[in-house]
Amino acid sequence: MVRMTELTPSLQDALDKGNSPTFEGKPFVGGPPLSERRVAVVTSAGLSRRGDALFQLGDSSYRAIPADTPASELLMSHVSPNFDRTGFMRDQNVIFPVERLYEMAGEGTIGSVAATHYSFMGAGMPQPMEPYAREAAERLKSDHVDAVVLTPA
Amino acid sequence: MSALAYFLEDEGLPTVAISLIRLQSERLGNPRSLWVPFELGRPLGTPNNAVFQKDVMRAALELLEVPTGPVLLVDYPHEDPSAADRDDWRPPFDFAETIPDPSNSVEFAAALEDEMRTLAPLHRAFVAANQRTMVGLSGMDIERCRQFFVSYLADPAATNPIPWVLWVVDDLRTYYLEAMMSAHPVIPSSRQLENWFWDRTALARGLLALRSRLMADNDTMTRFVGERALLPGVQRHRLGL
Repeated sequence: MVRMTELTPSLQDALDKGNSPTFEGKPFVGGPPLSERRVAVVTSAGLSRRGDALFQLGDSSYRAIPADTPASELLMSHVSPNFDRTGFMRDQNVIFPVERLYEMAGEGTIGSVAATHYSFMGAGMPQPMEPYAREAAERLKSDHVDAVVLTPA
Repeated sequence: MSALAYFLEDEGLPTVAISLIRLQSERLGNPRSLWVPFELGRPLGTPNNAVFQKDVMRAALELLEVPTGPVLLVDYPHEDPSAADRDDWRPPFDFAETIPDPSNSVEFAAALEDEMRTLAPLHRAFVAANQRTMVGLSGMDIERCRQFFVSYLADPAATNPIPWVLWVVDDLRTYYLEAMMSAHPVIPSSRQLENWFWDRTALARGLLALRSRLMADNDTMTRFVGERALLPGVQRHRLGL
């Protein structure tokens, strides 16, 4: 069970005060059966490929990670020290489960796997993230993605 | 609702979030969340356990077919079997008794060099076994990271730790943890690894000294980095800092 001391100060503060970001409406989008869906991973773990710009304090932008990126090319530059990294060091799938998606596609559980996945760095403010999130959404839709698994760090 | 879930759904993309903090999920009200009782940093649970990970993924993805909305929060019923401490793990060496005070920069630099020399073959073994390393944020090799850290620590006028010092620190800490995962046939829990690192290594002793210095800086951001970005909250709490 996650303890409060493991959380970022901003998240501790928000949970203590009962604050959460508020948005207009509650969009809830349906779709075809899972076996027909094209699935992408969008993580907030601050992942990028070697050579891409690293995440920095307050960074709201995203990094695109092609599905065929080898694990050896992934880096994690999330600024928070408050989560375990040793699991990811041994196996990228604990945060970025693209190999599991391919297996599920092979078994027919899902339809297919997105060509590109995305990473943000969590614990930021919603407003600066909005244009980047909407841009990533456009890119996902142009890849015909119709299911997104959000994974935290 | 979390910003990412909201913006993606608002753009017409169905989402399911794997959640590590149930209270946060209750308050956020995402369209679909699977809460998992795992530690932060492991939303899929056990490393190198495809069967377990796929079960988590299946439980999450199946929520996409549940028509009930606009808020759905389901608990995953299984614990991560790799989370428990391992009584049969022992660190094969212990540096703690011989670490000089970091204020003695010459002796501390030598102790850090010795420590990292001991870890070097273990880190090579980790990379050989896993075909990867997460060292690489700073863009410097690990020897240069060590030299940079020692110089920075010894220079009382050195300021502005963002982002280079954080990346160097991350590379060094990653190097230690990766090496220690190859040091013993048993892989310990993350808690055991972190406690070993913060209690028993010269690098951690140096990081705590650096933290104290940054927290006394005049610059607000430097103080914030010192207080929050170097030492995990769990360790801050455990060490009473």
